[in-house]
Amino acid sequence: MKAVDVVTTALGNTMRSKARTFLTVIAIFIGAFTLTLTSGLGVGINSYIDRLVQGFGDQQQLYVQKTSSQQSGNANEPQAYDPEKGADKQGQFGMSLLSEKDIEQIGNIDGVESVEPVVAVSPSYLEGENGDQFQVQLGYPSDVNSYEYAAGEAPGHDKDEITIPTTWADSLGYDKPEDAVGGKVKIAVSNVTGEEKTFEATISGVTEIMLSNQGAQPTPSSAFNDRLYDYQQEGLPEGAQTDGYAMAVADVPDLGKQSEVKKSLTEDGMLGMTVEDQIGTIRGIINAVTWILNGFALIALLAAAFGIVNTLLMSVQERTREIGLMKALGMSPGKIFGLFSSEAVLIGLLGSVIGVGVGVVVGTVANALLTGEGGALSNVAGLSLYGIAPLQLVGIVLLIMLIAFIAGTLPAARAARKDPIEALRYE
Amino acid sequence: MEPAVLETENLVKVYGRGANRFDALKGLTLDIKRGESVAVIGKSGSGKSTLMHLMALLDRPSQGVVALNGRPVSELKNKEIHKLRNESFGFVFQQFFLNPNQTVLENVVLPLKIAGLSKRERNRRGLEALELLEMADKAKNKATDLSGGQKQRACIARALVTNPSVIFADEPTGNLDSKTSEVVENILFGLQRDRGITLVIVTHDDDLAAKCDRQIYLKDGLIVAPEQSNTARSEAASSGEPAPSGQEATEPWAGGGSTASRASELGKEGNR
Repeated sequence: MKAVDVVTTALGNTMRSKARTFLTVIAIFIGAFTLTLTSGLGVGINSYIDRLVQGFGDQQQLYVQKTSSQQSGNANEPQAYDPEKGADKQGQFGMSLLSEKDIEQIGNIDGVESVEPVVAVSPSYLEGENGDQFQVQLGYPSDVNSYEYAAGEAPGHDKDEITIPTTWADSLGYDKPEDAVGGKVKIAVSNVTGEEKTFEATISGVTEIMLSNQGAQPTPSSAFNDRLYDYQQEGLPEGAQTDGYAMAVADVPDLGKQSEVKKSLTEDGMLGMTVEDQIGTIRGIINAVTWILNGFALIALLAAAFGIVNTLLMSVQERTREIGLMKALGMSPGKIFGLFSSEAVLIGLLGSVIGVGVGVVVGTVANALLTGEGGALSNVAGLSLYGIAPLQLVGIVLLIMLIAFIAGTLPAARAARKDPIEALRYE
Repeated sequence: MEPAVLETENLVKVYGRGANRFDALKGLTLDIKRGESVAVIGKSGSGKSTLMHLMALLDRPSQGVVALNGRPVSELKNKEIHKLRNESFGFVFQQFFLNPNQTVLENVVLPLKIAGLSKRERNRRGLEALELLEMADKAKNKATDLSGGQKQRACIARALVTNPSVIFADEPTGNLDSKTSEVVENILFGLQRDRGITLVIVTHDDDLAAKCDRQIYLKDGLIVAPEQSNTARSEAASSGEPAPSGQEATEPWAGGGSTASRASELGKEGNR
């Protein structure tokens, strides 16, 4: 018997007792439907997170923080003072800060191309060409390369340039983002003694505000930022000039070296994390939840598999004489096995295709209802609860066909083993 | 004389072992010539079904050889045996074994489907066989819609469709009334006469057996002279009583745990 005949015969046989096939298919359908929904939920939420963190810096950037020395010892015991290291610098909230020495040390680690301390400048105001003044908080210069630009480009590293968000272009008196590029802004900064001074910068680009709020603040180039910072610190007594940095950004262009760099940082009492590391934690949790939900769907499929075993065992029993006849007429046990396992696979295919199809429709509609306009979750911008990953859906169908095949092996083997003489005598 | 299409030599078949040991065949040597019609006659338990199964390669002998066209086949691999059975033999059964969910044509072409022929070729040859049996107009009917005689004709068409050299018929008229039986018998002998197909008919029916070229009487796993078989048969038939107790004592399987069931089988036989 040719393979195509085996399959068409199997198809004819599954259609023979329609009610029984239908009920078995329903069991598979439920499993496939659930698996499609749960895995789609994982895809949807992960893509939401991807969009949320999109542009949180380059992959090659390592965000370095000081690990609090008190974290490592017993927090309740006093830490011994080491004159070599000096006292740990602490920020406002008891966070350990990076010292100049630490920055130097980071720069010396093999694989680190450059390191820049993140310095916070607190300007008094920003003034546009039209003379209007606005309160302002500046973004970090290290982020400029990951912004998306509506017009213009990132500020030059060593130029007095700045980016503004699309929303600011309007307030500064420009009709279109394109018009803002090349315009001038003044930023006023006070030094330690309270003297205010303004610095002028050219607008190099206008940034889109992303879901993650990246690009929502005017961001200076690092040179301009340093100039502002230097003036802000002016007047501090010698030695107190640097009170440490909350964070530094290290550039590690060779991604393969990142783990080594992280290791040396840990040895030096610092913690380096990439954006991936930070997202990874969240994604790990979501994946774990998704897999727990998938587990329930797989349990449903396991139950359905026993449905297939049961259906086919009944079928083999009923068709004993037919099997005997086919064997007497020269059909090999292997082909008999193929015939019955094809039936199992067909039941699996039917149930899984319908289940996946309905699952995709229900998931998409439910997502639209919940997160769309007027839905219960509509105020969470950009939220998606259901995503379609075509490969994953194909994988689900294949997985279910495999489960069905395994379920079919027991009845199929029993059919293949039947003795034709006995089978023909069977009443 | 034509050469032998089927030969057996010292054929022995034993079922079970120890106390349950049952010797179904005790060393049969026979040959069936090409184009011959042979009736195998015997009572239940005589070994006639076992003989047919062995000759049709549905089972393997415990000892001895079966040869097809002068070539021993008992030692062939399973795969080759399946192929030989598909190509060389046709089967006609008392219970028809038609698939009620399929059309007559689909039933008839089953051996060709198993052989792996294309659908077009299958249908062409299937219709040819049905035409020969004047059943072509029923090709599209469901098998259940047929009368008993038509069902058996469909079965014969199925046996014929592969152009076999031998057709094995197991009580081919057992489920048919006498008039329909005659029609089916005529078809079978017509095939033997016109197409040179060898017929091996296993039957209880003396009238059918008498129409064959040759009769082989089996008793207790051995070939016996017709008189010997007939005596026991007519005695039991005329008296309506179970077989004489004397015979039971000579049964080779007496003394085992299965004596009771054998006896009841005998009783059934005698009550016919």
